[in-house]
Amino acid sequence: MTIDITYSGLAIGMLLLLVPIYFLHRYKTGLVKATIVGALRMVVQLFLIGMYLKYLFLWDNPWINFLWVFIMVYVATETALSRTRLRRGILMIPLAIGFLVSAILVGLYFLGIVLKLDNIFGAQYMIPIFGILMGNMLSSNVVALNTFYSNLVREQQLYYYLLGNGATRHEAISPFVREAIIKAFSPAIANMAVMGLVALPGTMIGQILGGSSPNVAIKYQMMIIVITVAASILSLMITLWLGARKTFDSYGCIRQVFKE
Amino acid sequence: MLRIEHLGIHFGQTDILKDVNLHVGKGELICLTGPSGCGKTTLLRAIMGFVSSYQGSIVVDNVPLSARTIESIRQRIGWMPQGLSLPIEWVSEMVRLPFDLRINKGVHYSEEKLLTYFDQLGLERGVLSKRIHEISGGQCQRILLAITALQEKPLLIIDEPTSALDSASSLRALQFVQQLAREEGRTILVVSHDKQFMEGCDKVMTLQSINN
Repeated sequence: MTIDITYSGLAIGMLLLLVPIYFLHRYKTGLVKATIVGALRMVVQLFLIGMYLKYLFLWDNPWINFLWVFIMVYVATETALSRTRLRRGILMIPLAIGFLVSAILVGLYFLGIVLKLDNIFGAQYMIPIFGILMGNMLSSNVVALNTFYSNLVREQQLYYYLLGNGATRHEAISPFVREAIIKAFSPAIANMAVMGLVALPGTMIGQILGGSSPNVAIKYQMMIIVITVAASILSLMITLWLGARKTFDSYGCIRQVFKE
Repeated sequence: MLRIEHLGIHFGQTDILKDVNLHVGKGELICLTGPSGCGKTTLLRAIMGFVSSYQGSIVVDNVPLSARTIESIRQRIGWMPQGLSLPIEWVSEMVRLPFDLRINKGVHYSEEKLLTYFDQLGLERGVLSKRIHEISGGQCQRILLAITALQEKPLLIIDEPTSALDSASSLRALQFVQQLAREEGRTILVVSHDKQFMEGCDKVMTLQSINN
């Protein structure tokens, strides 16, 4: 059984935030306000999520669980759009479909085939697994999409040179897709290589604190890394593929993708 | 090989090209010239399908240019844009770039032939192993001209191949494209302001600025 953190203990723990705030202030980074607002948002959001999850686990209804997944997809899509300067019409639907399809395919593969759960739609497994997939897909998609579209617009001479010399659109965007994948997934791949040596990962720590044996915890950790990378790259590919229709006109020319 | 009839292009309220007509027969070397801003590059971009809104018709090798045909049309063209700057480190990478495309899989990439082209254009063979930032603008233009020729496409669209070249190098570039047209039967449309270059072409078409 995990030892609970009392509210007074939590408040004392939060005092550690004064350390980064001090240095952020001292070096005039302009990040003090963002840090305080971010910390307050984290506290409120996590308490609210805690309450939601309590009821999700209590009801344990597949339909409600799926409704929760749709809400996560919506929030992830909005967040991704707000972190890129891209026009909503270009990527909103591709992003939402990419997140949803990848989470369902990879998440249910893990729950149904790897874990062999009797009830793969049960809240205890489905909600956290879909949540961790969504979080990872969001962060890697934001990096990859920003890289892809910024490079495509900045280096459009390369795109048009390839296109003009007979490349298919897919071939002409390949160098930009390659750069986006490298930038978004290099940290995850490097992290995988030092897992357990340099850093003890969150899922594993959480499970050990929750009472699981280290043997179980490491297996879950391995699978979490694999499913997050798989879902992230799958969602990126779906987003780029579906987004291409709005990104290029029927002659393959790049449309106005960034907001004015 | 290339037929343009009553071509009109406007961006917003501004007319860029109006009622342009151009016929280029197979194996012809045509120079397109005119004052700066008269729409020469826009005309080439329209032929390449990079201007999707225009009036009139563009027909390449008896295929009318449209969204459906643009890919097959581009596959028949060797395209050398003006002032090309690629995010690539090595000249050898730049040379290989078009040959990695599926359309060029059947074209044998011959380094020997490329180096022969380098000789004809007055380029040292050693530039092939240099970094892009180590070569001059004139060397880059000649390398791109050699790459465009090496792809063995029947129609070459070339924008300002001699703008960074001295008179002697410009003459070599002219002799090079003349040889492609006369000995290999390639059809070539070149934009140039270079008088010596213009005089060596089969025909010169002058675009007038319509906004004066």
